[in-house]
Amino acid sequence: MKRINVKLDLFSSSTHSRPDRRERTWRAIVSGGALTAIFSSAFFSAFFSVFFSATAWGQSTLDRAIASPMDPIPPVQAVDLGIGMIATAQAFRHAADAIEPCLVTIESFGGVSTVQGRIGGIRKQGEGATTGLIISTDGYLVTSTFNFIQRQPVISVITADGVRRFAKIVGQDSTRKICLLKIDEISDLPVPTIAKLSDMKVGQWTISVGVGYGDSVPAISKGILSALNRIGGRAIQTDANISPANYGGPLLDIQGRVMGICVPLDPQSAAIGAGVEWYDSGIGFAIPLDGADGWLDRLKQGENISPAFLGVQVIPNPEGKNGLWIQQVVTHSAAQQADLMRGDLIVAIDGTAVNDLLRLKQILNRKEALQVVRLSVLKEGGTEPIEVEVTLGEPPPDQPNRDPLEPPRIR
Amino acid sequence: MLRGQDRPESTPQAARFVTATTQRQKLLSMRLLSMRLPSMRTQKSPSCLSRNRFSIGVSPVLGALVGLLFTLTCVTRGQSVQDDSAETGTSIGVTDRSHVSHFFLSAIERSQPKMAKVFGASAGNVEGNATGILVSGEGHLVTMQGVYLDGRSIRVILADGSEHVATVLRRDRETQLALLKIEAATPNYFELSEQPVGQQGDWVIALTNAFRVADKDEPVSVMWGIISLRTTMEARLTRRDVAYNGELVLVDCITSNPGAGGGAVVLADGSLVGMVGRIIDSSETNTRLNYAVPSSALARFVRGDRDELQSTAIADEKKIKEKAELGIVVFKLGGRNNPAYIERVRAGSPAASADLKPDDMIVSIGGEKVGNVKQYEQALENLHPGEEVILIVKRGTEFLRIPLTPEVRK
Repeated sequence: MKRINVKLDLFSSSTHSRPDRRERTWRAIVSGGALTAIFSSAFFSAFFSVFFSATAWGQSTLDRAIASPMDPIPPVQAVDLGIGMIATAQAFRHAADAIEPCLVTIESFGGVSTVQGRIGGIRKQGEGATTGLIISTDGYLVTSTFNFIQRQPVISVITADGVRRFAKIVGQDSTRKICLLKIDEISDLPVPTIAKLSDMKVGQWTISVGVGYGDSVPAISKGILSALNRIGGRAIQTDANISPANYGGPLLDIQGRVMGICVPLDPQSAAIGAGVEWYDSGIGFAIPLDGADGWLDRLKQGENISPAFLGVQVIPNPEGKNGLWIQQVVTHSAAQQADLMRGDLIVAIDGTAVNDLLRLKQILNRKEALQVVRLSVLKEGGTEPIEVEVTLGEPPPDQPNRDPLEPPRIR
Repeated sequence: MLRGQDRPESTPQAARFVTATTQRQKLLSMRLLSMRLPSMRTQKSPSCLSRNRFSIGVSPVLGALVGLLFTLTCVTRGQSVQDDSAETGTSIGVTDRSHVSHFFLSAIERSQPKMAKVFGASAGNVEGNATGILVSGEGHLVTMQGVYLDGRSIRVILADGSEHVATVLRRDRETQLALLKIEAATPNYFELSEQPVGQQGDWVIALTNAFRVADKDEPVSVMWGIISLRTTMEARLTRRDVAYNGELVLVDCITSNPGAGGGAVVLADGSLVGMVGRIIDSSETNTRLNYAVPSSALARFVRGDRDELQSTAIADEKKIKEKAELGIVVFKLGGRNNPAYIERVRAGSPAASADLKPDDMIVSIGGEKVGNVKQYEQALENLHPGEEVILIVKRGTEFLRIPLTPEVRK
């Protein structure tokens, strides 16, 4: 009967409120059931015990938690699951405690506060500190580029030991909104455990962590993993609250391992503030650190990674056949350097046939600037497609049709 | 038991157990046929099993009769529970609380009768309604301040749908709390704990009438979440708004919506964590803050304990009499958004004796971050002559911690 007692402790009325009628009835049943069990075990044969008690319990309790061949949960877990909720709350705390030594509080100084329009859903970047995560013992930190949206000239980080250190930006990846920082002359920083991408399952618990609310203790938010392979395969998605309070902070699994770095992202726009309008909405993104060595190494070399830009405006083939018809080529773009012209037909990209704009966008979304793609192009008047290698460029810095989420401009 | 049909559930676990319920009879007979021991608890408990096996041989007739009596009692009682729930239409057996999908059930059942809907004047696009919580048996309610309290009359609708006219007993400028009173007995009310209720990570539910979804006797909306952080912080809606510097309980469910102010945040055992606050933006992040005013602050407010606040106000008044001076001239040419670089240090000043140098950048004063020239000027206004303060400056790539005692500004 121990387990029943546990259950009552956890879920029954607290002492100051009077139990209602049904609750009293239930208590009577519990005590009745307890006595039945005692009497049964003391006096009954196995048959009587089974028959009568099963009848009594069957009508009230047992059936709700019973296991069936279709439902593999054993009955006892009805209680265990409730305890599990409490254990989950403890796990959230433990995860937050465990990651704390690896978190840094980022302070930045100066910078332009005048941003044209709003940044996503917010008026402007907050005045508070932002979050970063240590990824190497020798002082490399990752955070989100969002935290430097005002291009602050001076950055300091406070490590968990309370020491403030000078940090410099090493490289930025604007496709992932990730920024690599470095603090010098250090060799013994704690590093977090990274969760494997192959182990991640949609539906598993996630915890987002950040110090952006201005307390040295990080704030946490719970959620589940909503999707893998988002934003050109770069991000994972969660419904935990992701906001300026934890951009740059880690997204943890229930064991406290780092699944990714929380960032604002928008599948439709690569602008620096895009994605902020979805803060705390249930649509949040994180960049996994598992398998990130490739691009992290490039950032360590001081490279900046930009979104790919081909530089063509296309419409579906007006003749109704395969391919995309080039309407316009942007000057100085990768397309122009590859001698693409108005009237040419893009038939395939990297061996994949493209017949609609979304397909082309989807493929290019997975690329970065300076990567090479192989285009099959049917030149105007030609009969056979020719293969063209194109080194993708960066989007022009100042587009005439900028949306309000574009990077801030100095007034 | 029509539990599954009556009560829409959202969790996958719930869906699974609804299926399980429909197969109840079949399963029960399977169970009897398999001759396993009946109690769901005994299945995993070997000690119970052995005790039962041991008892097989005993079975005296008297014991059997007594046991039979008890068993029959339980059957009848169990039946009465079902009948009862079928009549009332609630149709959720109390035993369901053991189930994970009903983890919050008793908290919600106990909290809903303590909730109130507050209606009053509206102004422009500002909603004229809020939520409120009952805090006494004599009709005392606590809610957040808002335009709805400023109209000609304030209407309060209790959980049973009864409508009452409320008067405002007390308001507090800093915490933005308001104490209302209706002329009615309210037997269901929240106990206000003086101690912090709930810690980071704990499951909570928020009960609010956000967007005025519920009317009359309809229960207010329920959301689930966890406590994100217990913290003290500065938060504000606009510059005109009063800064609230008390302790806050941040939650990760979205409570900052029109009409939600004055709602309850409770733990799974039904104890009150705090009251949902107004819609405010955190100046740290410029995002909406989902927070509750902790029950200890509510208890202080209801008790009318304002000594602490008044004394700090008086102390503040004393301090601002004299202005402080450090002897630092900051570089202002680049505008007030530039970092606070020292351009010049006046000879003989506190800054000079502390060996501050031109080109040092002021990072923080007295623990407050100095992000730019503007913030440096604000920080300087808050200093008091003769009181030592810690300056943190960046010199090259080093951060130096420099104690400094400001002098009186001439």
